[in-house]
Amino acid sequence: MKTPEKTDLRKIDAPEGRQRGFADLVLRYYIQVLLVVAVVILSMVNANFRRPANYSNILLQASFTGIGAAGMTLLIITGAFDLSVAGILGFGGIVLALLSPVLPPLVAVLATLLLGVALGLLNGFVVTKMRIPAFIATLGMMNVYLGVAFIVTKGQVLGISSGLLRALGTDSLFGFLPIPFLIMIVVYVLCSLFLGRTVYGRYLRAIGSSETASRSVGIPVDWIKIVCFMIVGVCTAIAGVLLSGELSSANAIMASGYELNAIAIVVVGGTSLKGGSGTLFGSFTGALFFAVINNALNIFGVGAYWQYVVSGLLLISAVGIDAIRSYLRGAD
Amino acid sequence: MSRNRDASSSLRFFQFSESLGVLTLLVIVVVVASLVAHGFFTYTNITNTIIIASITAVTGFGMTFAIAMGGFDLSVGSVQAFTAITAAALMQVTSMPVAIIGALVVGIALGLVNGVLITRLRVPAFVATFGMMSIIRGAALLVTKGQSVMITGHKAYAAINNGKLLGVPVPLLIVLVVFALLYLLLKHTPFGRHVCAIGGNRKAAIASGINIDRTTLLVFGLVGLTAAISGVMLSSQLLIVDGTLGTGFELQTIAISVLGGTSMAGGGGNLVGTLIASLLLATISSALNILKVAAFYQYLYLGLLLVLALYLDTLRRDLIASSMLKRR
Repeated sequence: MKTPEKTDLRKIDAPEGRQRGFADLVLRYYIQVLLVVAVVILSMVNANFRRPANYSNILLQASFTGIGAAGMTLLIITGAFDLSVAGILGFGGIVLALLSPVLPPLVAVLATLLLGVALGLLNGFVVTKMRIPAFIATLGMMNVYLGVAFIVTKGQVLGISSGLLRALGTDSLFGFLPIPFLIMIVVYVLCSLFLGRTVYGRYLRAIGSSETASRSVGIPVDWIKIVCFMIVGVCTAIAGVLLSGELSSANAIMASGYELNAIAIVVVGGTSLKGGSGTLFGSFTGALFFAVINNALNIFGVGAYWQYVVSGLLLISAVGIDAIRSYLRGAD
Repeated sequence: MSRNRDASSSLRFFQFSESLGVLTLLVIVVVVASLVAHGFFTYTNITNTIIIASITAVTGFGMTFAIAMGGFDLSVGSVQAFTAITAAALMQVTSMPVAIIGALVVGIALGLVNGVLITRLRVPAFVATFGMMSIIRGAALLVTKGQSVMITGHKAYAAINNGKLLGVPVPLLIVLVVFALLYLLLKHTPFGRHVCAIGGNRKAAIASGINIDRTTLLVFGLVGLTAAISGVMLSSQLLIVDGTLGTGFELQTIAISVLGGTSMAGGGGNLVGTLIASLLLATISSALNILKVAAFYQYLYLGLLLVLALYLDTLRRDLIASSMLKRR
């Protein structure tokens, strides 16, 4: 395994920073470089890929899972993860669809976000206070949320007619930057500030490195974890609002598979599932990376079944090359 | 001296009760279900429940090894589908033993690919098995062209699911044999000790000279094998298979391992717990089915029961911990 603490120290002290050349920079930001190279090459070889509307579409597609992955990054740094996000997203979308005809759109959005916070609080409570392993607890809660969402809607798709909500999901700034992508940037900046500029950020890493040690130095481990679950909840609810807006509808299973996709984005971005280290910049890149892969496969007309194969191969080889590289560097 | 013996006997009780917690739950659920749901405590229904449980349990055993080693395998659902298709396709051209062995070999091979990706390419287990989940799922859909494959006219193949040997359902026999072998492997061989050592403290395991790469490779090969066994069992139950089988199977099998008392942190595996937990989940869903609970409510009840079950387990641990403290 990599030793994340080492990398962090290097970043803080950067004693050999001046000696680092271009090559080292490329190696350190491997996944970012890979993303840029992939986009440049794809743009050169394919006329459809380089249309501005397509770039805009990639940014839009990246934001739905990307926003959820921001919160998930913080939670994974503490050493936990949340499998209930697909349930939170579906539940949130449905509440939005139910409330939007009767309440002003912004109030409905606010209520959905509060629901996300509340469900996150519930997850955090179940994991920390009832001391149930996060994997099982959030898997159980996903069933609960999906169950409630199904019961409320009787399994139907609910339409959303509010123009403002549709605009949230489909409009773009200067006709190029989609609103969801702008919101994604805001979410990532806020989460980065939380992680890098507040004392709580340091607590997150401490808890992820050693929960026992963190407890013994008086860090309120349970509450920090609960806050992280609440952040995941609100991020997922934001994604739910935007996705329902884009689709002009909501249903309980609109986000099936969301949990594994979000975690995959975080892991591709270089955050260890063991906890203790991770960056939001990495997850941001990871979200774009998956969106570019899926978009390219569509543009090149790869059949649906082949897409499973090719995207799996691309994921493994991208991370594999990165892993070999850091392994070799570690061996130096 | 006597205090020492006390401590060690209560420690042994603690280890034993690791499976006792989920066993108590199983007993409670069975008793309640028998009282509430008419037709639950019948021979047919109990047999069906056991058959459903055994398909999950077999892969759950393999998963328990992976979790004990500090990892997990997300590709088991896809491997289950692919090997079920392999078995079905081979049944059309060759004999039954060849088809079964072929499916098992494919399962082991896919598991070994996971292992190679993790040990040679140094891809984190999550990404490797997540990627393989996607690749194998795609391959399963591609080889079947999205169609179903039928297994017809083979009574012997169907017997893997509905046959009986000396009055015992064959799936139960399979699950007991796999359990016995893997229990011996985990508890009474150096390999089993290495698996737990790697999960408990990886650096210490390296320092003590354990071949981590080889152990990892073998564990993922084993998970692939168990996924293939459940693939064969599933295809024998359905007799018509397609590329979409086994979605969500990975979370199910991890869930029964954790529910059975195997910690996601690694370091030890509780195969008895995995077996009981698979029965628990199958019993719950069979009871809900008999009670004609609508599918939507089944999600809700299953989720609540999972959380409640583990909360009771937390309380039990507290009780044991405090009684051990008092004794000291």
